Amino acid sequence: MRTYTVQRVPSVSGRVRTGATLLSCLASVLAAGLLLALLGLHPAALGLQVLHQSLANRYGLEDLALLAAPLAMCGLSVSLMLRVGLWNIGADGQFFVGAAGAAWIGLYGPSWSTLPMLALMGAASMTAGAAWIAVPALARLILGTSEIITTLLLNFVARLGIDWLVTGPWRDRASSVTAQSPRLPVAIPKLPRDWHLGGMHWGLAVVLALACVLALAFRFTRWGYELRICGANRNAASYAGMAVNRRLLEAMLLAGAVAGLGGMLELAGTVHRLQSGLSNGYGYVGIIVAVLAASSPLGVVVTGVLMALVLNAGTVLQTQGVPSSAAVALVGLILLSAAVGERLANYRLQRIPPAPRPGQAA
Amino acid sequence: MTLLSGLLGNALLSGGVLALAGMGELLAERVGVLNLGVEGLMALGAVSAVITVASTHDAGLGVAASLAVGAIAGGVFAIATVLARASQVLCGMALTMGGLGLAATIGRPFAGQPSAATFRPMPIPLLDQMPVLGDALFRQSLPVYLAYLVLPLALHLLLFRTRHGLTLRAIGENPAACDAVGIRVLPLRFAYVVLGAALSASAGAYLTLGFVPSWSDGVTAGRGWIAVSLVIFAGYRPWRIVAGALLFGLVNALGYLAQARNWGVPSAFLSMLPYLVTLLFMIVPALLSRGRPGATAPAALGLPYYRDQR
Repeated sequence: MRTYTVQRVPSVSGRVRTGATLLSCLASVLAAGLLLALLGLHPAALGLQVLHQSLANRYGLEDLALLAAPLAMCGLSVSLMLRVGLWNIGADGQFFVGAAGAAWIGLYGPSWSTLPMLALMGAASMTAGAAWIAVPALARLILGTSEIITTLLLNFVARLGIDWLVTGPWRDRASSVTAQSPRLPVAIPKLPRDWHLGGMHWGLAVVLALACVLALAFRFTRWGYELRICGANRNAASYAGMAVNRRLLEAMLLAGAVAGLGGMLELAGTVHRLQSGLSNGYGYVGIIVAVLAASSPLGVVVTGVLMALVLNAGTVLQTQGVPSSAAVALVGLILLSAAVGERLANYRLQRIPPAPRPGQAA
Repeated sequence: MTLLSGLLGNALLSGGVLALAGMGELLAERVGVLNLGVEGLMALGAVSAVITVASTHDAGLGVAASLAVGAIAGGVFAIATVLARASQVLCGMALTMGGLGLAATIGRPFAGQPSAATFRPMPIPLLDQMPVLGDALFRQSLPVYLAYLVLPLALHLLLFRTRHGLTLRAIGENPAACDAVGIRVLPLRFAYVVLGAALSASAGAYLTLGFVPSWSDGVTAGRGWIAVSLVIFAGYRPWRIVAGALLFGLVNALGYLAQARNWGVPSAFLSMLPYLVTLLFMIVPALLSRGRPGATAPAALGLPYYRDQR
């Protein structure tokens, strides 16, 4: 008779981890489908509809890419801080504040030509995003205050601030819509017409480039190596002579800047007006984007597209009379099963050879 | 005088949400589990209470429903964090997102309608005749008294005056030592995470049956997160949590007052106040007490317990 035992192994290979993540995503989608079936809907048909709408034609693909871009930017921001073992729950706020900084330059700044203008807006958004995380970052480094809660609290403040700006001082007085700013005079140029990617803009290229740069920096620079060591074991890092606090601060400010830049890209590339609907909780989805990608920058691009699909499912559900907030619940479910799957990946079944019985010939 | 009385009454009423949610979180954190899902639990509790009273017209049943739903959601969270030992931060975020999303989905038909039943005021004889305080303090509903007096007293006695409480606190500090003396760490953790989650969810029922009183998407408005921070800067003690909740209630009430009286501050800034004050409370006391050992978190907070890693 064969007997098995469950064994826990301290670390597993990247392949096992990826497999566990994929399995847990699949499990949660199946669970959600079961739930929908209980509600009397047809999950398989709905799933096909989601895939058809998002992947089968050009417009669906473009929309998917445009939705994936802010998710990937927030995911990059979260993964930067995950590298050093910290949580950025405030990417949503940094995203908004970055967009506000860019809008300020765009609406009230100099009237230069498009390219320098966009560069200035980008710089403003990154400064704003970094400034928004500065207080939580310093509180974390100097006082040890949990960055989870401080960054999160600032999300509410940022949202309310944007609400105030677009209904008050920056309100578009020419239009009848009350809660948005005037249209920005500059926009990120679209990709060339003969590439047949009509709706997409160069901001998407910026996202990809940033992911590549971060991936290279993490892999091939001393800075990236030090970030990883600071995240893995701060004491060892400091014993090895690394400037731990400096690295942590850099990672946090950069995370804020990246999320802020994401806000600018969304504003100047896709939405063109500052409004409180600019982010549909992208910063929170960014957490799961980063976690599913195991904080690898190139992985973030892939998981960003994956989560964009999930959010698209919400839009499809809406046409079936299920509120789009169901997609948020699905995001939570995926995050939960990914967290559990990550841990269960460390267990494996081990066969125990049958023990030789006493008296039996060896 | 009526102004002061109204202010105090409103502060008490709005602080109760944080008191209940905070004490639920306290139970989980004292046994070493960081539950960041309070916001989602509150939303689930809020919506299940509203749906229950819509068909039963009984506020008590509404609270019972929120407790039950909170216990179920807390059970899922405890299976993931205590038994499967998954990351508590991730599972907490997942509970928040899942709870908010699910509550918004099933609450859609009820959004914006006034709750079918609300808490009835329960005046305390004689005391309610006091000049200013009578109206503010002693004509509240039963859950307010529970949140401010009965529960903190019960939790204080449980945690600091019983042997069982000593066990619970020890589990939060050093689960390995507890295991060594024969205390069953995981079952106790599981039980108190579920109990705490039920209590946190009942804060949602308090919100939609007592304070607001109606359900709408986003009605929790970050109160769950404020409750989590409240537990931290209250030093993980029940009475201080209640006092902090009252303080936040006062900030809230001042905001409403400013809005109602039109003091000329844009309402967005008044709505920011609770979050900014929370941030201030997270940072300033720590800044003042630098170097001095203050009330610290349970030592094993956030760490999964493995018997083979002692």
